[in-house]
Amino acid sequence: MAEFMDLEAQDGVRMAWNVVPGTKQEGSNCVVPISAIYTPIKHYPNLPVLPYAPLRCRTCRSILNPFSIVDFAAKIWICPFCFQRNHFPPHYASISDDNLPAELFPQYTTIEYESLGDKSSLPLPPVFMFVVDTCIIEEEMSYLKSALSQAIDLLPDNSLVGLITFGTLVHVHELGFAQIPKTYVFKGSKDVSKDQLLDQLNFFLNKPKPTAGVIAGARDGLSSDTIARFLLPASDCEFALNSVLEELQKDPWPIPPDQRATRCTGTALSIAANLLGACVPGSGARIMAFVGGPSTDGPAAIVSKNLSEPIRSHKDLDKDSAPHYHKAVKFYDTLSKQLVHQGHVLDLFACALDQVGVAELKVAVEKTGGLVVLAESFGHSVFKDSLRRVFHSEDYDLGLCSNGIFEINCSKDIKVQGIIGPCASLEKKGPLCSDTVVGQGNTSAWKMCGLDKATTLCLIFEIVKKDIPDATIQSTSNQFYFQFLTYYQHNSGQMRLRVTTLSRRWVAGPGSIQDLISGFDQEAAAVVMARLVSFKMEIEAEFDPIRWLDKALIHICSRFGDYQKDSPSSFSLSPRFSIFPQFIFHLRRSQFVQVFNNSPDETAYFRMILNRENVTNSVVMIQPSLISYSFHSGPEPALLDVAAIAADRILLLDSYFTVVIFHGATIAQWRKAGYHNQPEHQAFAQLLQAPRDDADAIMKERFPVPRLVICDQHGSQARFLLAKLNPSATYNSDARIPGGDIIFTDDVSFEVFLDHLQRLAVQ
Amino acid sequence: LDLKALPRPLDGDVEPNSLAEIFPLNCHSRYLRLSTSAIPNSSSLVSRWHLPLGAVVCPLAEAPEGEEVPIVNFASTGIIRCRRCRTYVNPYVTFTDAGRKWRCNICSLLNDVPGDYFAQLDATGRRIDIDQRPELTQGSVEFVAPTEYMVRPPMPPLYFFLIDVSISAIRSGMIEVVAQTIKSCLDELPGFPRTQIGFITFDSTIHFYNMKSSLTQPQMVVVSDLDDIFVPLPDDLLVNLSESRSVVETFLDCLPTMFQDNVNVESAFGPALKAAFMVMSRLGGKLLIFQNTLPSLGIGRLKLRGDDLRVYGTDKEHALRIPEDPFYKQMAADLTKFQIGVNVYAFSEKYTDIASIGTLAKYTGGQVYYYPSFQATNQGEKLRHELLRDLTRETAWEAVMRVRCGKGIRFTSYHGNFMLRSTDLLALPAVDCDKAYAMQLSLEETLLTTQTVYFQVALLYTASCGERRIRVHTLAAPVVADLSEMYRQADTGAIVSLFSRLAIEKTLSHKLEDARNSVQLRIVKALKEYRNLYAVQHRLGGRMIYPESLKYLPLYGLALCKSTPIRGGYADAYLDERCAAGYTMMALPVKKLLKLLYPSLIRVDEYLLKPSGQVDELKNIMKRLPLAAESLDYRGLYICDDGFRFIIWFGRMLSPDIAMNLLGPDFAAELSKVTLSEQDNEMSRKLVKVVKKLRENDPSYYQICYLVRQGEQPREGYLLLSNLVEDQIGGTNGYVDWLTQIHRQVQQNA
Ligand SMILES: [Zn+2]
Ligand SMILES: [Zn+2]
Repeated sequence: MAEFMDLEAQDGVRMAWNVVPGTKQEGSNCVVPISAIYTPIKHYPNLPVLPYAPLRCRTCRSILNPFSIVDFAAKIWICPFCFQRNHFPPHYASISDDNLPAELFPQYTTIEYESLGDKSSLPLPPVFMFVVDTCIIEEEMSYLKSALSQAIDLLPDNSLVGLITFGTLVHVHELGFAQIPKTYVFKGSKDVSKDQLLDQLNFFLNKPKPTAGVIAGARDGLSSDTIARFLLPASDCEFALNSVLEELQKDPWPIPPDQRATRCTGTALSIAANLLGACVPGSGARIMAFVGGPSTDGPAAIVSKNLSEPIRSHKDLDKDSAPHYHKAVKFYDTLSKQLVHQGHVLDLFACALDQVGVAELKVAVEKTGGLVVLAESFGHSVFKDSLRRVFHSEDYDLGLCSNGIFEINCSKDIKVQGIIGPCASLEKKGPLCSDTVVGQGNTSAWKMCGLDKATTLCLIFEIVKKDIPDATIQSTSNQFYFQFLTYYQHNSGQMRLRVTTLSRRWVAGPGSIQDLISGFDQEAAAVVMARLVSFKMEIEAEFDPIRWLDKALIHICSRFGDYQKDSPSSFSLSPRFSIFPQFIFHLRRSQFVQVFNNSPDETAYFRMILNRENVTNSVVMIQPSLISYSFHSGPEPALLDVAAIAADRILLLDSYFTVVIFHGATIAQWRKAGYHNQPEHQAFAQLLQAPRDDADAIMKERFPVPRLVICDQHGSQARFLLAKLNPSATYNSDARIPGGDIIFTDDVSFEVFLDHLQRLAVQ
Repeated sequence: LDLKALPRPLDGDVEPNSLAEIFPLNCHSRYLRLSTSAIPNSSSLVSRWHLPLGAVVCPLAEAPEGEEVPIVNFASTGIIRCRRCRTYVNPYVTFTDAGRKWRCNICSLLNDVPGDYFAQLDATGRRIDIDQRPELTQGSVEFVAPTEYMVRPPMPPLYFFLIDVSISAIRSGMIEVVAQTIKSCLDELPGFPRTQIGFITFDSTIHFYNMKSSLTQPQMVVVSDLDDIFVPLPDDLLVNLSESRSVVETFLDCLPTMFQDNVNVESAFGPALKAAFMVMSRLGGKLLIFQNTLPSLGIGRLKLRGDDLRVYGTDKEHALRIPEDPFYKQMAADLTKFQIGVNVYAFSEKYTDIASIGTLAKYTGGQVYYYPSFQATNQGEKLRHELLRDLTRETAWEAVMRVRCGKGIRFTSYHGNFMLRSTDLLALPAVDCDKAYAMQLSLEETLLTTQTVYFQVALLYTASCGERRIRVHTLAAPVVADLSEMYRQADTGAIVSLFSRLAIEKTLSHKLEDARNSVQLRIVKALKEYRNLYAVQHRLGGRMIYPESLKYLPLYGLALCKSTPIRGGYADAYLDERCAAGYTMMALPVKKLLKLLYPSLIRVDEYLLKPSGQVDELKNIMKRLPLAAESLDYRGLYICDDGFRFIIWFGRMLSPDIAMNLLGPDFAAELSKVTLSEQDNEMSRKLVKVVKKLRENDPSYYQICYLVRQGEQPREGYLLLSNLVEDQIGGTNGYVDWLTQIHRQVQQNA
């Protein structure tokens, strides 16, 4: 596994198959698709940033890279993708074997260019449009206000800021109006077109409306004075913004006791999108939505105002009895297209005990590469700390960037089916596009309105070669090449281009199995399967995820396992595959597949995070990590099994969304007795502290900030741990482990699962 | 005809007092005046009267100190009213049956006296408690109304301001004056601590203000969807003034600067009005509209229609003087229904269709204040004073008025600013001391058999203190069978008030000329009738005869024909000015109207030159002069006062000393550019004192001083000369020609 980690450390890529099956047939026999999990703008401490424009192949437009063959004498390079011979331009004249430009250094397969054409243009300021729900109780309101005012303090001085508040009505705040707080107000039940919005915001008072063409930004028909009424430099409007927030009132319209508040989230977001679309099209802007309850009015209501009507559950969605769902999803789908077109991001901070409509909003957040945070309250640390992280740019900077376009080039026998991840297809069709589409497909270019150093895409490929025409070609030179290009607006405001070029050997024919096994990255494969199964559950009606996963696993095991036919006991797997079944076992039990334990909002949330995280973090989501702390030994990984629980141990469970510190009964007793405060029990104090330190380390790096649960054995909070453990000892099993706990569940244990698998794989 | 000997009302309005002598228990004539105090006993007599038969009512007229209307609280007894005709108990009811019954003076029904109200009668049949009963001894009394007289709890005094902030409004400086004035009188608004206040401003959009008391500053909320106006907050757009005082003050401080850079030229007046209506409709109250730009957007938008001179003189002429869009009348009806009275303050330098906008004031019992081409520098002071008076004068809220009269007669038409709710009930959402209403009587039966008829005005309203009250004025008048008695008892002031209102109404459906002709015709007919009474007995020859009581009528008739709403044609008054004057005159009490028609002209230079110190001096100079150019000595200094403005006329040969003393260094400048201010000398101080004194006499409007030098044309022409109603100016008659003409017509077929 370490070698795959090294590759990731160099290029930000993990591939399920690092040796690629060479034909279409062999590819499909491998079950787990040929795929890459790529973190486009991953942070590298020593990433070379070249201050000049890249050289491109004149045929396929791919960029000069270490895999290009260079003829120094003739000053020619051969493109590894299309084999075109390209002449170096005059300023490369001095190139030689020992005078290489950085992009040809073999170790610089990932490199960045900063000088991209228009040097005269000033760096674009980041734009933040806060869209704030006011239909929340006073207590929540005060939490939200204080979180927002902290965030405002942290805004970069040059950033432009706008504010929209909403409830029954939508208020667009004219922060540039100096005298008193001023808002333009819109009915929540009414959709406002961009033209109407501009008219009603008096955009054409000083400057008449252009008679033709699209109104977009200061260059195309809007006066910059007018734009500055609504979007102000943070340094200029901090006071105005803070005083507005200070006196911001809860939505004042009365709510009958049998009704929900009238909340028009969709209209508010649509107005925000239209305003940004008119003012700052094509430049990095984020709509940051703070939502405290379900939308009940306007085009994207998710539930009626009547409290007797419950908010849709997975069961309702399954039975197609959620009357508002499709309409709302369609609304947000349209909104996402608009935002993608404008290059703007939608971030969602959903804080409520009830659902707010994350499931409906998912499409708009995900396609624009927005951030999403789901918490129970605006006062909860999950929200507060996460929001602070968005703006806090010290050690754990998210590295928020914007306005990205992701493109790929591949060797000619490979096609792209699509990307599962936070991006939107730009519908740029070409020979590279597969007919079968997975996720965002039908394209070789994707928009990434928002991206950060953690944003990770899952690319699904397809091998199109039918067979191997000449067996002699099967040699070490059988390489596939991939080039990933990411143009984006760096948070410095400059446009950059990140280039990653990869080469992978392909194999075909009999005897290639061992090669394939050697290149199998089971973690990456598990993550690909997780994204794929989530995706299929969302778009395929009647899809049975358990069956699909089981079939896939059995298929893989029978193809790559070592066994005698019909002899389960003879079955074994190579170390490259050995923990794959365990991943699938946990995936089957995970929140991604067992959706009925959660609300549609939670499911959407988990999946959005899964779809933007790298392999290591995704694996934690699928199979939480468990570390045990005791006096007997140092911290050590423990099996994710109920057997790990012991009275004299502390367990640290990381299930990504939740970090649990679990004190065994004895430990809890000692702690309550205050031993750790006594000088003679310093060792105990250290034992208590160690998991806290490790948890802090996890929390610091993660976004959204996970929920931290500190609990004791037999305490009510202990369920956060127990739910994730393998039920090796359940109330209906005989094997009772002394000192351990019993999990009340009917799930099969991993042993039972493995037995079944071996039985079926060898058939 | 000897011009000098012609009758002139140089002592102003002289009220006839014969009626008060016969019926000393009558209400004072400031509240109610009949066009003749002798009520004809037959319809044939009425038809020979020719003049309007009716009354002018000013229910809340200001009473001098000591003559205030007494307040009577019957408390648990309940208000004593006739069971049949609902007349309120008054000095003319009679008690019988040892005090157990009372007879209604209007319908003669014998009513029981409620136990609580019982008092024994003395030997003369008077109640022994009569001295403690103002309702039985005074013609005007105010009853405190119990809950039966309320359909809801009495509303608080409520002032809502709808302010135009388009570019022309900003440039005129109007907003600053308005904001400062409102702020300056917050302590004096009636009704503390219940007074409510709210604001909307508008240009092409509508701006609401959240004035919640807990805020440190108001919040502005803009609604721009003009086709779908809605109220953006459930509360706090209308707030309790004392609770939200600091927010309101902050708003008024900010208001002038808030829009100083506004370049919006549009006016969404109609939608803004609807918005104000929606905010106010829960409570009602007084809506003050400050309007500067012709409504150009949304519902109620108006066209520039006033400058089409081709329609003048045609049958379509009158259409310019009535609202173009039914929206305004409909809004007025809705506003009245929800107890909202509208006052319109209009400031435009261009045509702004006062005809349409004024409708709002007309049908809600309000008034139109018009400041054409307003600039804070020249008319600011006028606006300040008039707005101040509007806001601080005692106002009766959610009022209705009914005038009852004895059997056989009835009021058939009403004239003024109000909405008629049923055949005889006037809806007056907000009414004050400056409003008068005229009405005409007719006989229901061919012959009246009673000796006396009674009139009773009842105004049911909510006082600013929150009390529901009924103000009742009762008046008795003799019934006569003799036409000459009717003429002898005529009241020119009341007649002219009725004439004016009828003539203005006629301009709304006829040509201006027709309105003037009908005034003339009625005067002719009346005088002819009068002449016929005496033609047989006396040899009259060519002499013109008229009753003493009507000696000024022809002159007032002439003045009426020369007044702004009726005079001339297209070029003789701007349409907006004409309409504004019409709306104003429809509501004027008698005295103010007469003064407007025949302004007072006084000479002041002699007084200024006299050594000061004599108290009576001031009284002496108040001697009024005939309104004719002949009155003007070119060595003199004159003030012409029509109650709305002062024209100070500097004779060509006026001593330069005086001019210098009064005007300081500006004395030789063009006077249109000079404003009168106090200089540091005795003469100037005296003049300022005179002006101040004149204003004190007439506080319902503020009179700006316009200075004009003899011969400064055309300024002298339109400011002063056109006011000299006795002169022949342009194509109009002079007093002599007018009388000659009338006399000739009277004699025709005599
Ligand atoms: Zn190429
Ligand atoms: Zn009666």
